[in-house]
Amino acid sequence: MISLSDIPARPSAWITPPMIALALLLLAAPDLLPAIGLYQYLGIEIAIWIGFALGFNLLFGYTGLHSFGHGAYLGIGAYAFGLFQHHVAVSLWGGLLAAVLAAGIAGALVGAFLSHRRGIYYALLTIGFGQIFWFLAMKLHRVTGGEDGLLGIPRPPLTLGPWQVSLTDNRALFYFAAALLMIVVVLCWRLANSPFGRVLQAIRQNETRARFVGYEVWRFKWAVFTLSTMIAGLAGSLLAMAQQSAYPDVMSLHQSGLIVMMVLVGGGLVSFWGPVLGVVFYFVARDVLGGLTETWLLWYGLIFMAMVMLRPEGLAGMLHDLLRRSRPRQPSAAPAPATEAV
Amino acid sequence: MAPLNPDGPRMIDLLPHIINGLTLGLLFALIALGFTLIVGVMEVINLAHGSLFAIGAYFALTVIAGSWFAGTPFGAWWLSLPLGLRYVLALAIGPALAGLAGMLLELCLRPTYGKPPLYGLLLTFGAALVIEELIRLVWGTGEQNLALPQAINGAFLLNGMIFSTYRFFAAGFSIAAIIAVWLFLERTSAGAVIKAGAHDSEMVRALGYDLARLRLVVFGFGAALAGLAGVVMVPIWGLRPHVGVDIVIPAFLIIVVGGVGSFWGAVIAALLVGLAIGITGAYAAAWSTMSMYLLLIAILGFRSRGLLGRKSALEH
Repeated sequence: MISLSDIPARPSAWITPPMIALALLLLAAPDLLPAIGLYQYLGIEIAIWIGFALGFNLLFGYTGLHSFGHGAYLGIGAYAFGLFQHHVAVSLWGGLLAAVLAAGIAGALVGAFLSHRRGIYYALLTIGFGQIFWFLAMKLHRVTGGEDGLLGIPRPPLTLGPWQVSLTDNRALFYFAAALLMIVVVLCWRLANSPFGRVLQAIRQNETRARFVGYEVWRFKWAVFTLSTMIAGLAGSLLAMAQQSAYPDVMSLHQSGLIVMMVLVGGGLVSFWGPVLGVVFYFVARDVLGGLTETWLLWYGLIFMAMVMLRPEGLAGMLHDLLRRSRPRQPSAAPAPATEAV
Repeated sequence: MAPLNPDGPRMIDLLPHIINGLTLGLLFALIALGFTLIVGVMEVINLAHGSLFAIGAYFALTVIAGSWFAGTPFGAWWLSLPLGLRYVLALAIGPALAGLAGMLLELCLRPTYGKPPLYGLLLTFGAALVIEELIRLVWGTGEQNLALPQAINGAFLLNGMIFSTYRFFAAGFSIAAIIAVWLFLERTSAGAVIKAGAHDSEMVRALGYDLARLRLVVFGFGAALAGLAGVVMVPIWGLRPHVGVDIVIPAFLIIVVGGVGSFWGAVIAALLVGLAIGITGAYAAAWSTMSMYLLLIAILGFRSRGLLGRKSALEH
């Protein structure tokens, strides 16, 4: 099986061809989506979840730390954004900052507790903390609105110096979300291909060895966890704007599991771009299969199970194989895949 | 949220809550034992364990109500049987079918052996999703109730307090089942092979046992225990399609608090979690499930492998 480290990267590049392709797709999306029978709001959802998934995959795919409670930080971001609008000021930048900071602080505290753990204990504690945040969101009725959600979150206008753009229109909000997404993409790409990213991959391959080489492994684990929660918080603030409300259900174990499924189906374990494919596949499947049958989650679950059994490298891995098979004569420039310690 | 009583409940008022908590704990122990056996022998965290619990309970519901044969002569004859008999049959058929479902799941798990434990975890997570959707499809989305025979249904008065008979039945039943499982593991040769498999499955294979069959049997046995717990627990815990996810989290938490692979660790942790839920329920009912997460974090903060845990393969 190929792994993340085997896909040749151009570490020095800030901008790569897939990024340009993604940017062009995002530019065209508001006109493209209605043309293929879908709707504009879907684009916003997909852009938000791609950002969330890319941040999550730094933790999940690159570092091999399996968080099953990441929806919590998405929710914290959404609530922080809404509460900032309600109680502090109606401000876009203020709300975004509040969301990133709130999710980041929660993540930093949880990360400090988690980072000395490994394997299944790590996964379990992420579930435990995720459930605590979900529970708080459900029960702190006066702050979060409980199960009814935090309603009436405005979409504040985008102010850049003298310019002001209204984001109340879905198309405008989509472009704003897409712009933030591209920043997240570049940031994650640079991080994944930086020396920091190499250490993260070393931790995935063999944590003990990484420690013996002299890295303070827990600091790296803490840093990548906190970072991914901050990105989740940013995605959460966009979600609050898109829905104009915030609900506890994104924080549930179910939703936290869905992000894991999306990343895995897409091929987050083998490719930086896996989460993007996974998110798009999930949302398109939800709308297409969901239109055909009430029980589309059953089919998605079966696809997921088949994927884990037969093709754990996901869509990205299949694509990679396909490309390699279509050009068989090309002398392989890449060295033989490194055997990966399990 | 329930208002806090300013004086706090008196000790004697706590008694019913302690009894409820212990009952809940004993039932948790029943689920956790199957879970911990599966973890021990296959090194798979079975996130679908709660779904097997649900399968057991839903089939019991069908057996008791005879709803699949309603309107046919067989259905009429079935309903003419005494409720007590149908309940006993449900107690046998529900777990047996859960066991079969568990074996099917084990067959699906085979491609993941030898890979990191993540794959087993993910596969069973997908299975949990699929089973939940199947339950919605077959049994509907609403909350359902299991009809109970008169002998174990009802309540009695003791010292001016009302106790539910069913809780005592459930507690007694779980104690008997836990002891039976323990005797099976400690006193029979099949149990010895399972324990040996949990300790070192490669060595068991080297001694000539069929490891594939051992895994199939253990998974089926663990799933049947989950199904049994499902049938007994559902009158207390409620039955809805989502019940599998609701129950797998406490079960998962219990084996980690107790120490992965430890029999008595799981039992002790289950009782602790049950008590924590029961006693918090007395003071602030809305927060009762929160207490188990706090218990988890408190215990793992001090003992990173749980109460009675040893180093295991799951840490990699």
